[in-house]
Formats: sequence, C-alpha cells, structure tokens
Amino acid sequence: MVLDGIAKTALLGVEMGMTLVLVTVGLTLIFGMMDVINFAHGSLYMLGAYFGLTVVSVTGNWWAALLIAPLLVGLLGGLIEYFSIRPLYGRNPLYHILLTFGFAIMLHGLVTEIWGGQVQNISTPALLDGSVDLVLFSYPLFRLFLLGVSIAVTAALWLAIRQSDFGIVMRASAHDSEMVNALGTDVKRVFTAVFVLGSVLAGLAGVLLGTSQAVDPGMAASIIIQAFAIVVIGGLGSYRGAVVGAFIVGMLNAFGPTFAPQFTDALLYLLMAAVLLVKPAGLFGNPEAT
Amino acid sequence: MPSESMPHEKRSEQYSRRKFLAGSGAVAGASIAGCLGGGGGGGSDTVKIGFVLPFSGTYSFLGESIVNGVKLRLDQQLGGEIDGRTVEYIRQDTGADPATGASITQEFLQSENVDFIVGPVSSAVAGAMKPEIASAGSAIWLNANAGNYKLVQDNCTRYHFRTSFNTWQTSAPLASYVKDNIADNVVLSYANYTFGQQSKNLFQEAFEEAGGTVVDEIGAPLGTSDYSSFLQEIENSGADAVFSFFAGSDAVNYIKQFSSFGLNEKMTQTGSGFLLSADTLPAQGKAALGMYSLLHYTPTKQSDRNQAFVEAYSGQYDTTPNVYACQGYDSGLAAEMAVKEAGGTDTDSMASGLAGKELDSPRGYFKFKSSTHDPIMDMDVRQVVEADGGGVQNEVVETLSQVEGPTWGCSL
Repeated sequence: MVLDGIAKTALLGVEMGMTLVLVTVGLTLIFGMMDVINFAHGSLYMLGAYFGLTVVSVTGNWWAALLIAPLLVGLLGGLIEYFSIRPLYGRNPLYHILLTFGFAIMLHGLVTEIWGGQVQNISTPALLDGSVDLVLFSYPLFRLFLLGVSIAVTAALWLAIRQSDFGIVMRASAHDSEMVNALGTDVKRVFTAVFVLGSVLAGLAGVLLGTSQAVDPGMAASIIIQAFAIVVIGGLGSYRGAVVGAFIVGMLNAFGPTFAPQFTDALLYLLMAAVLLVKPAGLFGNPEAT
Repeated sequence: MPSESMPHEKRSEQYSRRKFLAGSGAVAGASIAGCLGGGGGGGSDTVKIGFVLPFSGTYSFLGESIVNGVKLRLDQQLGGEIDGRTVEYIRQDTGADPATGASITQEFLQSENVDFIVGPVSSAVAGAMKPEIASAGSAIWLNANAGNYKLVQDNCTRYHFRTSFNTWQTSAPLASYVKDNIADNVVLSYANYTFGQQSKNLFQEAFEEAGGTVVDEIGAPLGTSDYSSFLQEIENSGADAVFSFFAGSDAVNYIKQFSSFGLNEKMTQTGSGFLLSADTLPAQGKAALGMYSLLHYTPTKQSDRNQAFVEAYSGQYDTTPNVYACQGYDSGLAAEMAVKEAGGTDTDSMASGLAGKELDSPRGYFKFKSSTHDPIMDMDVRQVVEADGGGVQNEVVETLSQVEGPTWGCSL
C-alpha cells in the first residue's frame, strides 16, 4: 500500500515536471540568447490552448489542433519578435520587460473579448481517453501521453542544441553574438528562429494542458509565475537548468500535499529562496554571464 | 457571449449618461436648496442603479451576467421604468480589488446619488464596501453575489439585502441529505481561502450534528491547476463520499482530474453548487456524471416561472442564464419591489418596504429574512445527468424548502 502510493506520487512528479519543461525551455532559451525576459510567454501558452479549442471545434479533430495551434502560436511569436522586440535589442532590458508585459495584458483582454471569460476545456481525444493499469496502480492514459510527448520533445531539443549546426550557431550566438555576426551568420534571424521555437513549444504545451486542465483567461498568469520560479531555480538561460528545475518543482508539487499540506503554496518560493541564497545564479546558471 | 450584449449595453449607457447630464442641473439646484431628505436619487422621477462589479479580469463574466439579469427585468420587462420613474444605470469596474470597490461605492453614494448599489462579486470587496454604505445610509445595497456570512455577523446593516445567498445556505443544508442518502463518512476538500474554508467548516458542523463522521480534510491553494497529488490524499482517506468547495477553473480542474484518476468509481462526489454549475459543466463534461451539489438556482429546474425566465434571458442574450444572471434578475425584482413599496426612492422607506417581503424569483419564492435581510429560499440538491444534446446537465433530485440559516447575532 505504501509502496504503490509513493510510486504513483513519484510518477506524478515526473509527469508534472516534464510537462512544465515545455513552457520553461522557451522562456530560458529566449533569455539565454537575447537577454529578453519574456512576460508574454504565458500568454503564448494560453493562446495555444485557445487556438486548440477553436481548431477542435472547427475540424472536430484533436490531432489537427495539436499540429496547427502550436504553428499558429509560432507564427504570432515570430511577428511579435520581428516587429516589436527586434528594434529593442541592445537596449536596457527593462524595455523588453515593459513591452512583453504590455503584450501579456493586451492578449489577456483580446482572449476575453474573442472567446469570453468563462471556463472551457478541450475534450480528450477518444484514443487517449481512459486509464492504463500499471500493476501497482492505474494511471490516466492521457497523462502518460503528456509525459511521453514532453520527454520526446525535451530529448530532441537537447540533441538539436548539442549536435545540429543550428544548435551550434545558437550556442555561439548566445556566447558572443557580435562574433557570430562578423563570421557571416545573420544573428537576428537566429534570434527570430529561437523566439518562434519557444513560442511553438508554449503553444504545444497550451494544447496539451488545455486538454487535461481548464482553459480560461487566467491560465497565462498562473503558469508564468511558476515558470519564472523554475527558470530562476535552474539558472536563467540554462537549458539544463530549465529541465532540472522543472523536474524538482514537479516532485515538490507531487509530494508537497503529502508531507506539508498547509504549505504547498509556499514550498516553491521557499525552494527558490534557498537556491538563490546558496547559488545566486541558480543551479546551472553562469555566474559570469551578464 | 458578452459580445452579444455589447450593442445594447452601449445604448443604455449613452442613454443614461445623456439623461443624467440633462437632469444634473435640476439636481444641483435641489442640492443647493439643501433638502433631499434621507433619500438619494438622481431626481424625483428617476431610479438610479450603480453597478459595483468586476468588468475585467477573472470575474468579468460574472459581472456581465449580473448586469444582464438586472436589465432583463428592468429594461426588457418593465420598459425601463418602475412606477413611472425612469431607470438609470451607472457602472464601474472593481476588478477584484477591495479598495477599488470601496472608492467606487463612495463615489456612487456621494457624487452620483445612486438609489441602489448592485454588487459586488467578491466577498472581500463586499467587506470593504459595507462601512461606506452603512454610514451613508443613502442607498439600498442589493448584494448580488458576495456570500460571506460575516457580512451579516459583524455590524449588520439594514441597507444590506442579499439577493444572492450566504455561505451557510450553499453548504450546511446538504449535510443531512448526504448523511441520509449517500454516506455516513466524508472527506472534505476545498480551495484554501475564506470562502472555501467557511463552506467546509459549515458543512462539517452540520454533518457531525447529523451523526456523520468527517474522516479527513484536504485544502488546496486557490488556483491550483493540477490536483493529482491532493486527489491521492483524498483517495487514501478511504471515505465513501467527498464534500468539496471549488469554483470556476478550479472546479473544472478538480472534477476532471477526480474522474480521470478513477476516484468517481470509489467514492461519491458532493459539493457546494459552484462545484458543478452551469458555467463549469460544459468544460467538466462526462467527468461530472453522477455527482451531487446544492445551489439556490438551477437553470434546468422544471418550473413555469423558471422556464419563462430562461426563455426570456436566452431570447435577449443568446445564451442560457447562470446563477449569477438569476441573482441579477432578482436584484432587479428587489429594486422594483422596494420602489413600489416605498412609493418613491426614500432609502429608509425602501429598506422597511423590502424586509420580510417575498419575491417571485426564477429560483422559486424567496423573501428577505426580517432579522438579517438574508434570503430565505428553496435550495436544490442536484445530480449531474446526461443531457439530450449529448452534454451533461444538473437534474434537481430534491428541493429543500425555504432554507433559512442562522442569524449570527444580527437582529435588524
């Protein structure tokens, strides 16, 4: 009895953590590359859910939503980067914070105006409905799918950043964008590509979590706070940090209610404070980075 | 959809503003003459209603629903007049901020001379508004949603009329139904904030009084999106039933996850009506099937009075009414009753006129309890069943007649 309880909670933690990675990776990559703190990242996640909702209601096909909604969010992210963030590169980072914060507020209003303020939900596709017997306990199939997709995306990105040509350019640009520019690569296009990538991932997370959770205009604010905390714990700009941080927070979310039911709200912030006291740059942050 | 109601909203706003400008000269004259009596009022031939509600943020949908309900009664059904007096509206957005609510209230009372204040949605905002309204004594407060029983417990004021409900009514009366029909032991789960804690405590009190046992309680932070680890605690409690308070997106997340982890096969879910209401059911879908809840208004209730309301509301706004729309509509009914009883807009006469009076509400007859001005009304125990169209809906399984509730030491 005790063993299956712990096993199930652990699986929950892994699942919650890995799903968060889809959101935190974009946030941390965008910061790592462009020094942009993107407050609108949660709104892009929210738009993923709402686009998903609309695609499902038009086509009746959840899988179409899984494909189309993230691409639409990516397109929008690209436009935002090209027309508003790009002119501000090299300026005081506060400009980006104010700009993206403004986008977050605008998108919240826009979503409320277009889709209404009521709670909605993307219905689970028939293929992924139901639960699976995992010997010790049974587990909802959709959440296993969520876990599988998150792990696959995280691993693929890891490989891409480590191994691919684009990954090398990305890392080089993050390290010294002027030098990369001088060597004949248009860094601005790399930046746009990274912003689009982060947006697509946020959109993907929006469709996936919009299916297992409620979709409402408040979802952007609730995810962005947690995502920022994770990125700070892992180290701003570090891919590894975003993954490890999300994993730790997932575990915290899973085991918190069992061991400290009255403090679940505060645990995340206590952890963040503790990490920052010991390692001010976060677990995997580069203390020398500007 | 809110967009559906926009053109109409705009029209009446402009209309009232023009009307107000036209009338303001006369009002200014009267003010200088210095004798408006106890009554507020934007003029002797008008009734002025101030909406202190959220029109932005998470609760904007609730604010719009309440306004729609009020206007359905006063504009559509009464033609914008009560007893020959033209109804005017003014509205301001509280967001979810108590300080904003208090300052809007102050402005409405002092500069706008409203006769009625309708709102707010949040009990925290209501707490901040109360001293303003009590000390001014120049408007009737039609509380169209804030359910905190402490509004009546601490310094109750005779200008406060609840056209909604109090926390006790949406939790405690369910206890004996659960004990008699569902289980003699429960686990409590709730959103860990004032309203959730009150609902949980009031249910527990009543359930233990009825001879039942509360096995455990699990509070989750307000706004939790993933309840899975809390659900495990609920499952581990081994109780036969659960009583919960969650609302809005929390209710959707909680119920969907409750069923996806198979808890619905092991225990019976019950709760305060906001857990399974007309706003959340479309998103909760089949995950909500078989669950019980208690509320004062159910859109699917089979009564002529309610069906007429649903028809009128759907015809006007192109969407089915929810509990907030009903509370708005009843605020409209109460304003109408108050002006007619008092034969004008004198605040004290209206307060005396409303106390103990019965309203013909879509929820069923209800009246303001003389000692607290809280509603005495029928409460429906509902169960979620499959709807004809393929979705799910609440079906009233039992109506608890004229549920009254404690006075909390208030004796008006």
